[in-house]
Amino acid sequence: MNGSEDENSDGKMLISNDRYLSAGIHIGTQQKTEQMLRYIYKVRSDGLYLIDIQKTDEKIRDAAKFLARYDPSKILLVSTRQYGQKPIVIFAKSTGAKAIPGRFVPGTLTNPDLSCYQEPDVLIATDPYADQNAVREANIIGIPVVALCDTNNVLSNVDLAIPTNNKGKGSLAFVYCLLARSLLAEKGIETFDYAISDFEAGGELM
Amino acid sequence: MTKTKAIENCTSCNVRLVEAGFTRFPCPTCGETIARCVKCRKQAIRYICPNCGYEGP
Ligand SMILES: [Zn+2]
Ligand SMILES: [Zn+2]
Repeated sequence: MNGSEDENSDGKMLISNDRYLSAGIHIGTQQKTEQMLRYIYKVRSDGLYLIDIQKTDEKIRDAAKFLARYDPSKILLVSTRQYGQKPIVIFAKSTGAKAIPGRFVPGTLTNPDLSCYQEPDVLIATDPYADQNAVREANIIGIPVVALCDTNNVLSNVDLAIPTNNKGKGSLAFVYCLLARSLLAEKGIETFDYAISDFEAGGELM
Repeated sequence: MTKTKAIENCTSCNVRLVEAGFTRFPCPTCGETIARCVKCRKQAIRYICPNCGYEGP
């Protein structure tokens, strides 16, 4: 992902407005929650709520700074959503984090007797609703939760929200690619040999 | 790597952190420890970093 030509076009933003818009980051849902109001830019005539991408950019930068404070092997990503599965696997591969794509086995964070038991220091959830089991367990063990949050999400048990379309194939690839690149940049690693297309779910089975 | 001060009270509501389900984490911006009690987490109560004013979630 080479963002060099984009980075200057919108001042401090990680990538240009146009790139955010073409990835559909701003496309929310027809529902909104009280807690997501501050991240909503406007409502379209068809009732669709649109996300303020300046805030998305800001929160991706905040999350990158935050995650850079952790040992990457102690960062765990989850996505029961199909389109989030490849993005989290590539995120893990590119940053040294761990990923659980697909079904989250109950007790993964709370039951040391399970073979899949893990002890992360921070959880990244693709959708706090779809990934509510993992979020609940993170809450029980007292680790912070970063979550991609759409206009219809409630921020219960989320400690750092990234407002974004968390349903689209393209938007999930885009956000996770940008977050991975920014996380590495925060650690002083400027080489990032992945393109957004590397993060995008194809027809393969995970 | 994740050094957080052992602060004893919730950053938002100041309740003592005794009930399980609370968390402590470094402020994304300045690294100051932020603590959230189980109730503030569940109700998505806003927190403000006491050092730099960063607001979440
Ligand atoms: Zn509290
Ligand atoms: Zn701070």
